[in-house]
Amino acid sequence: MIDVENLCKDYVLKSKEPGLKGAMKGLVKPNHKIIHAVKDLSFHIDTGEIVGFIGPNGAGKSTTIKMMSGILTPTQGQVLIDGRNISKHRKEVVKDIGVVFGQRSQLNWDLRLGESFELLKHIYQINQKEYDKILDELDQILGIKELLDKPVRQMSLGQRVKGDLVASMIHSPKVLFLDEPTIGLDVSAKYALRKFIKEINKVRHTTVILTTHDLGDIQELCERLIVINNGVLMEDGNLSEIVDRIAPYKTLVVEYYDEVAPEHTRCKLIAQDGNVAKYRFMKNDVTAAEIIADLSKEKTIKDVSIEETGIDDIIKIVYGA
Amino acid sequence: MLKKYLYVIKTQIIRSMAYEFNVYGNIIMQTIIMITSAYFWRALYKGQTMVGDVDVDSMLTYVIMSSILSVLFITNVERRIQNSVEKGTVATDLMKPINVFGVYFAEDIGNIIALVFQNILPIFIIGSLMIKLPTMANPKDIPLFIISVIESFLINWLVAALFGMIAFTAVNIDALIQVKKHLLRLLSGSIIPIWFFPVGVQKVLEGLPFVYIYQLPLSIYIGKGSSVEYLSQMRIQFIWLVVLSVVFFFVQNKVIRKVMVQGG
Repeated sequence: MIDVENLCKDYVLKSKEPGLKGAMKGLVKPNHKIIHAVKDLSFHIDTGEIVGFIGPNGAGKSTTIKMMSGILTPTQGQVLIDGRNISKHRKEVVKDIGVVFGQRSQLNWDLRLGESFELLKHIYQINQKEYDKILDELDQILGIKELLDKPVRQMSLGQRVKGDLVASMIHSPKVLFLDEPTIGLDVSAKYALRKFIKEINKVRHTTVILTTHDLGDIQELCERLIVINNGVLMEDGNLSEIVDRIAPYKTLVVEYYDEVAPEHTRCKLIAQDGNVAKYRFMKNDVTAAEIIADLSKEKTIKDVSIEETGIDDIIKIVYGA
Repeated sequence: MLKKYLYVIKTQIIRSMAYEFNVYGNIIMQTIIMITSAYFWRALYKGQTMVGDVDVDSMLTYVIMSSILSVLFITNVERRIQNSVEKGTVATDLMKPINVFGVYFAEDIGNIIALVFQNILPIFIIGSLMIKLPTMANPKDIPLFIISVIESFLINWLVAALFGMIAFTAVNIDALIQVKKHLLRLLSGSIIPIWFFPVGVQKVLEGLPFVYIYQLPLSIYIGKGSSVEYLSQMRIQFIWLVVLSVVFFFVQNKVIRKVMVQGG
């Protein structure tokens, strides 16, 4: 479906030295600095996948997604969608692509929502039957029909995002790109958005590629995760696989009746706070039950709990924070 | 293919109808310009019947028709480009299977259609009642007049669009838009016909595209000159239209490529 091959993007940045002297110098001899925003990315995405792009601010996520959707021309490398190079065959390929950029609405401020959709219907040359069908379908997920008569400028952010989602799907694209779609949304709007993504993926087999900072989105939606940092691909794979590989351990929290915590040979005592001790153990080496059994022979245990390594921890490790 | 753009025009008419205050503002402004110009010309013609082959009645017709044409030549494309560059929506606009500049053009057409009833008709009525009925001198020149107005419209739009493209590098062009607007009114003969200017200045202005926006169709309307003269001037007008179109398509492609490289 989507092939990304050796994708690179450089930006030229004019850097100025501080002060008047720097400004003068900049006029005479501009100091160009090349920023390598994306360096040699390659990956393949199959039809019907939901792929999450994560990475810190400035990691190159948005740049990558812009190149994949044909908005930016890569400096090097190429993006193939269904075997067609997006930079070269833009006009045909854009019909198969839908985009939602969290902070920029493509709805028309002065129009009612329905009028914006009608305009898109004409731009994409969709016939009435198809248009009604997709609108009905999306209405069942998002409840959009009650908003059709509302002017866009009077809509709340949540309503506008719903409108934008419908606008991006109105021409039934095969691929949907979402750049930080959940930004600024409340819980119920976020829920609606996630439901929307899951539904269109299930029903229409739409391939979805999204960037997000919301780890909930990732956990809810993505089977596959691509982690980018400094423009370089750090991780690419199944969410649980990545977790297993980067952090193949769990943490056992044991509460005793006094402050003396026993050691254990097959796990590491990493923290102790009063009566509570934390042990880290390798998942494939030993089970929590075995450790608890061993520990309870030495001391009486009041309570135990197991902390799974979450996506938060993974991100901290990958980002090096 | 064309249907898309027709729908954009239709949508724009709906949008234009939403801003009533803008409409009244322009009627008031045009009325003031018309009335003061009429007083100005009447005072200037005092004691003389003809100035530069034109009598006072024709000059008053010129004033009213100039106001009407100025409504026809309202363009929003500069602001539209500036807004989409500032808000970064150019990028998403480029994602649609429709030419962005085609959309801007269709939107301007839609605006003008809305303005025929909201602006042109009221200005015509006010001018007729308060100054005089602006009748055409030689009705046989109507086809020439209409063709030259269409070409004027296109030249004016292309100048505006080329100007608006500065926003891709300068981002904010508010002040420049104002400068261009007033310079154009001055250089195009829309307020003072350039036959009142010194000969040297006239020669220079005749070499620029601006006089072919206002003065040419207005001259045809008031009957200043002969059909032969009109045709030779319309030839220059057409050459300008072609030149500006070529420049426009060249710059348009460059600008789109630039957006695609630097990001919206």
